[in-house]
Amino acid sequence: MPSASVKDGRLDGFLSAEKRSERLNRWLDESSPPANSVTLNQRKIFILPTRQGVYFALLVCAMVIAGINYQNSMVFALAFLLLSLFMVGILHTYRNLSGLTLVAGTARPTFAGDDAEFTVVLKRLGSRTYESLQIGWNAEMLATADLIENEECRARSFISATKRGRLNPGRLLIQTFYPLGLFRAWSWVDLDMSTIVYPRPIAGGEIQSSSATSEEEGELVLRDGAEDFYGLREYQPGDSIRHIAWKAYARSDKLMTKQYAAYADKRVWLDWEQFAGIDVEYRLSHICHWVLALNSTNDEYGLRLPGVEIQPGRGDSHRDGVLKALALFEVD
Amino acid sequence: MYQIPRNALVLMLIAQALVILPHIMRLPLWITLLCAACTIWRVMVFRGRWSYPNKWIKAFFVFGGFLGVGFGYGTLLGLEPWIGILIVAFVLKLLEMHQQRDAYTVVILAYFVALTGFLFEQSIPYTLYIYVCVTLVTAALVGINQTMFNVTPRKTIRKASVMLLQAIPLMLVLFVLFPRIAPLWTVPLPTNVARTGVSYSMSPGNIAELVQSDELAFRATFEGDIPAYSDLYWRGLVLSYFDGDNQSWNQERPGLYGRTLRGSEGVTEWSDAMEYIGDPVSYSIIMEPTNRNWLFSLTLPKPTDLKRVGLVRDFRFYSFREIGTRFRYELTSYLDFRTDRNLSDFWRYRYTLIPKNDNPETKKLATAIRAGSDSPAEFLANVLRLYADDYVYTLRPPIVEGHTIDEFLFESKRGFCEHFAGSFVYLMRAGGVPARVVVGYQGGEFNRRGSYVAVHQFDAHAWAEVWFENDGWVRVDPTSIVAPERITSGLESAVFGEDTFLADIGLSLMKFRSTLWITELRLQIGAINHYWDAWVVGYTPSVQMSLLRQYFGDVDQTTIGMILVGTFFGILMITAAFLLLKRSHRKLAPVDQEYLRFCRILEGEKLERFLGEGPLDYATRAGEQRPDLAPGIRAVTNAYIKANFIDDQPEEVEILRKAIRNMKVRLFA
Repeated sequence: MPSASVKDGRLDGFLSAEKRSERLNRWLDESSPPANSVTLNQRKIFILPTRQGVYFALLVCAMVIAGINYQNSMVFALAFLLLSLFMVGILHTYRNLSGLTLVAGTARPTFAGDDAEFTVVLKRLGSRTYESLQIGWNAEMLATADLIENEECRARSFISATKRGRLNPGRLLIQTFYPLGLFRAWSWVDLDMSTIVYPRPIAGGEIQSSSATSEEEGELVLRDGAEDFYGLREYQPGDSIRHIAWKAYARSDKLMTKQYAAYADKRVWLDWEQFAGIDVEYRLSHICHWVLALNSTNDEYGLRLPGVEIQPGRGDSHRDGVLKALALFEVD
Repeated sequence: MYQIPRNALVLMLIAQALVILPHIMRLPLWITLLCAACTIWRVMVFRGRWSYPNKWIKAFFVFGGFLGVGFGYGTLLGLEPWIGILIVAFVLKLLEMHQQRDAYTVVILAYFVALTGFLFEQSIPYTLYIYVCVTLVTAALVGINQTMFNVTPRKTIRKASVMLLQAIPLMLVLFVLFPRIAPLWTVPLPTNVARTGVSYSMSPGNIAELVQSDELAFRATFEGDIPAYSDLYWRGLVLSYFDGDNQSWNQERPGLYGRTLRGSEGVTEWSDAMEYIGDPVSYSIIMEPTNRNWLFSLTLPKPTDLKRVGLVRDFRFYSFREIGTRFRYELTSYLDFRTDRNLSDFWRYRYTLIPKNDNPETKKLATAIRAGSDSPAEFLANVLRLYADDYVYTLRPPIVEGHTIDEFLFESKRGFCEHFAGSFVYLMRAGGVPARVVVGYQGGEFNRRGSYVAVHQFDAHAWAEVWFENDGWVRVDPTSIVAPERITSGLESAVFGEDTFLADIGLSLMKFRSTLWITELRLQIGAINHYWDAWVVGYTPSVQMSLLRQYFGDVDQTTIGMILVGTFFGILMITAAFLLLKRSHRKLAPVDQEYLRFCRILEGEKLERFLGEGPLDYATRAGEQRPDLAPGIRAVTNAYIKANFIDDQPEEVEILRKAIRNMKVRLFA
């Protein structure tokens, strides 16, 4: 995978979003509006010589001067061949981006402080092939892709998520130096992708188990470690041998597993007020930590934030909902 | 850590070796060994066996390399030491090629080293060789920019070749139209290597040695008819001083001649010494490098405006710069002329000067013949008659020592042109008649395919010029008395019986002059080389100007510049259109191909599908029109729709194929 050395020695203007001027951004927004699928064309592709390209041009100049001073036709011819190669190189570098289609892929949520993974699908139409494409939001971490035999490929790119909330990676950089490295063709594409960044989980704070342990309020939960016999079900591979109902087997020739159950005694409310006196972000981070902790022990929990209340539940989709509520709390 | 792709590295090492190869003969042996060592080291680094040299070893190499070049060549000034340094830097760079930018440096140096070879040679095979090298260097450049997944150099080379081929039309435009201007500053030229050719000193035997070579001396293209063979006396230099110690004829001290003459100058102190008679002969000469200063011309040439070239007092051209590269010039000569009707006492003295104490027998003979002749003209005729008697023209003259002219005239009596010319001038001078030796070439091979005369080293010749009151200088060739064939048809027929023509050189196409097809082939190759030298290598500012005048009329530099820019970008646009607008041939999925085949079959039954008509609608319509085919059509359509939804499973395509086959069977049943 390319590292910083890939961009070593190139002209890196326009590379980072911060460096792009307001005017350029406005122009980009007009010429290349956000869309889930973008095909690169002459309105979107920039091309400039790299530092190597400048050196190459200087080499050609030196050769022409040598040709003049030595009055040597073959020196001229070689200098002109390289100059022409330089010009043809522009076309080939441009060709290595134009017509390429970028489609927004998946964007996985992440926790603040981690990297968010975005996937972009590169597609080619027709017989034209593309080589050595570099793609990513972060100029230091560009993914490399070829589209030679394959019609499409996926490029994964990571963005460090520093803040909770909605992460919009902004314009995606796609660039290429192929074939000669003398030119850099690039484009800034807004694929309208975004993802959620959850608060950074930080251990801390206490949660009070809610006192709802009575049978009326509690919910019956089937669990291996519980003590109360609940019923029988058909044996499934993987069931513990200790739980096989041997008596029932003797009666019916059928392997049955004993099921035990307990009443959930931990219907936890993760309440904003429980973390009073702490900075907002820390509160959210602590709540986030508890969400993960409770989810891993498969406990039931609900969330109460100012203006947000999520009824207790469990499972991954419940967790994601809760985390999303935490992520977007007072963000929009 | 970045690693240069294997592909690029392999191409780079090969290209580097090939680019250096033509220089090897000019390089000291240790640089060649250094090249090999660096290449091996780099390969070992790539294989992970060795590591890069540390900075002390590198410093030692760099310091040692430059010192070595300095001591090896004795100087750091001049072209060869520069190229030595360039190549040393080029190979040492291999040992610190870590980063991508180092690889670029190597590529750029490789292009430059490839270029320097052209300063020494510009022949067609060499040019082709260099273009192969350039293709490989370009492939290495492409390789640097490819991903690691790409491991076949074939595709990389292909890409580079395609790009270079696309660059060639643009290159041709630039080559023809780019304004060729005069050198901006003087540059070190290739140092003189020993070249075969006539020398500024003539002693018995050295022309006989020179004519053993079949190398080309120059080619002359005439405007209009080519003069008779026996008129093709190419004057190179005039030897008018006899050195008794070495028994050799040498050039006059240059200071005595005064100023040289240029075409644009009007009358100077000696321009009236030349009288041109009759019709002029115009010709252009492409001269092979001699590393000497003299040019060859037919008598009597008009002064020329050629840069750094002047007409010397004895009517030959002198270039103030040594002819180190192939050189082209145009001249006009008058085969009928009169020069130096009057000769000053000083020059009469110089042209009759011979050492007092040598060749006494020759002097005695000359005095005797002169006494028996009434006039200088009769004296000349009597001396020539002497040669007609028992002298033999041979390519293997015996070595003469001591009083060489005495020995030749009275003992060996076997000689080559320099013996005859040298002894003849000596006799004339001994008889008090001003005379001088002229050295150059005589004759040449007429190439009908290229309509030029090729003059080779074996056409080298020496003859004499004798001065008469009122008539001026007259050419006298004593060889023509001994061996008239030499003057009318060349050396080979003159020494035919002797079997000595080019006897000392190995394989030469020249030796097979009697085999027709080899001669034809040789003339053909010669003609191609001639056009190459005249129009490609010899595409000088003046040639460019006359060519552009021919096609664009009287144009100035600005117009040419505009034509250049216009054509260049025009062709670039065409290339761009070719590259970018080329329609992409998207391959259809097999099911679609089969379905279209089905549509074509129905088309033959006058049931074509409308534009945009869906398969189901089409099937219904076609089925109504041809109830007999309806089941078949329905089967095919169903199979197609199913195959399309089941995502191109091979078995589904097979079902579709079968349905079409069944329908066809029904159709033609």
